[in-house]
Amino acid sequence: MPSQDAKRAARAERGLSRRSVLQGAATAGAAGLAVTAFGAAAASPALAATSSSTAGSAAAAHEEAGHSDPIVVHVRNARTGDIEVFSGTSQTRLRDKDLAARIARAAR
Amino acid sequence: MSSHREAPEISKDPVADSTDVYAFVSPDAPSTVTLIANYIPLQGPAGGPNFYEFGDDVLYEIHIDNNGDGHADISYQFTFHTTVRDPDTFLYNVGPIESLGSTNWNRVQTYDVAVVRGGSWHGLGSGLPCPPCNIGPLSTPDYGSLAAAAVNTLGGGIKVFAGQRAEGFYVDLGAIFDLGDLRPFENLHAQYGLGAFTGPAAGVNATNHLNVHSIAIQVPISALTISGHPTIGVWTTASRQRVRLWDADNGENVNSGPYHQVSRLGNPLVNEVLIPLGKKDLWNSLPPSDDKLFASYVTAPGLAGLLPALYPGVFPNLAAQVASGKPRADLEAILLTGIPAGLIAGFTNLTGSVLADMLRLNTSIPATPADKQSIYGLLGGDLAGFPNGRRVTDDVVAIELRAIAGVTYPLVNKSFTPDAAASKLTDGLTPASVSSSYLNSFPYLGVPYSGFDNPS
Repeated sequence: MPSQDAKRAARAERGLSRRSVLQGAATAGAAGLAVTAFGAAAASPALAATSSSTAGSAAAAHEEAGHSDPIVVHVRNARTGDIEVFSGTSQTRLRDKDLAARIARAAR
Repeated sequence: MSSHREAPEISKDPVADSTDVYAFVSPDAPSTVTLIANYIPLQGPAGGPNFYEFGDDVLYEIHIDNNGDGHADISYQFTFHTTVRDPDTFLYNVGPIESLGSTNWNRVQTYDVAVVRGGSWHGLGSGLPCPPCNIGPLSTPDYGSLAAAAVNTLGGGIKVFAGQRAEGFYVDLGAIFDLGDLRPFENLHAQYGLGAFTGPAAGVNATNHLNVHSIAIQVPISALTISGHPTIGVWTTASRQRVRLWDADNGENVNSGPYHQVSRLGNPLVNEVLIPLGKKDLWNSLPPSDDKLFASYVTAPGLAGLLPALYPGVFPNLAAQVASGKPRADLEAILLTGIPAGLIAGFTNLTGSVLADMLRLNTSIPATPADKQSIYGLLGGDLAGFPNGRRVTDDVVAIELRAIAGVTYPLVNKSFTPDAAASKLTDGLTPASVSSSYLNSFPYLGVPYSGFDNPS
């Protein structure tokens, strides 16, 4: 049997196109969550990251996270465009009202 | 207890729930320190068909502060990987598991060990085997040997073990959380007028015949300490990634984002008994260096006020101390800074002025021979026992009960006389209350109870 890691890798590959559909929910004025498998490079260059973080020593063990990892988008507040983007062991915080609105529309 | 299911949120996440931390100079390898962090509380041995295992999605760490600032200078990291060899059977094993490589074992867990030191990450071992859980005479016929084979020797004189062990922490949970009943003294309890108890009774070890999962590492003292600072602070944490999303298509969780701490444990019973309910999960998420936020719960513990109320007339001096409003500097020293030199002859484990809940071990104090140990540690005149680190047999319930009841207050206030009952407090248990004998060598905790022999 393949290891759990191998299974995850295989799923990540075959999920690239299928998961391009946003999943989750985001409603105006409320926090929401979306998952996509866009590569990191697919993120809009217009998006301005306002902060990013990893968790101290924990991050040191996991810096090898690749771009095939799922990307999880958390719309904290669709009205203000406050968005968190998670991939691998990284987290980026950004403010983009247009993107937040698009995600909110997709979630309806 | 000592940190089993101690906070509302972590109680719902057992694989990340730390239960006990031990740190002691290894009695059979005196140039080393043994560090043990236990997880997954109160395991019923007959937990099949999906027996207990570490979380593949949890980052387990044991931290060491060797300069007294409440921050980790060294962190040992443990990450786990589970493999199912045959998904077409419902069985954990399809025959006797007589070796760690047995193909009869269907759900196998291995782990990686790494150390983070000065911000640099170094792998110490990869693909190390955990033993299976102890199932019974047909599935795990020689469990002691099987588990012993899972003790791994790494470079640098390090030994590691990760797997199921018998719960070594003994406590009368059933009585203590019935409004502070201590069975040996329950006739003195106020009993709320209910007349439930007519006389003293023997303690009952609620954790007997239950198992935990232990992460144990034995490290040369020289690898943990810095020159002139023999005392180390030790604690464990469990961390999860920020996002966990159920992927219904694939039937598994998707984890993403940076790791955030969800469980922490240094000294036993601090989060369990001292930190109030509304702040326990916050406490779990913070580093020891932030513990000044919680210092008032240590220096004015709620339990000190409860004891005189629950046991009327038994603790008049403690009641007066509580009424005085004077902070308990003795408890602050024991739990948050270490004990300065000059209070106990020949002893200190002070790490400095930073208030941080860490298990402090003065590594320059040698292990006490087994026949001279006191389960009451420092209170029993045994400098190698809790709160100088913690050995697997130390009676931390009695030690902390007695300290909170005022036994240690004269260390900082010579005019205080502890109540006569304070030095006798106990839940009535000893290491003999643990049916599976402790081991004399690494990993020191006993062979886990099998499901066959402990079906209920």
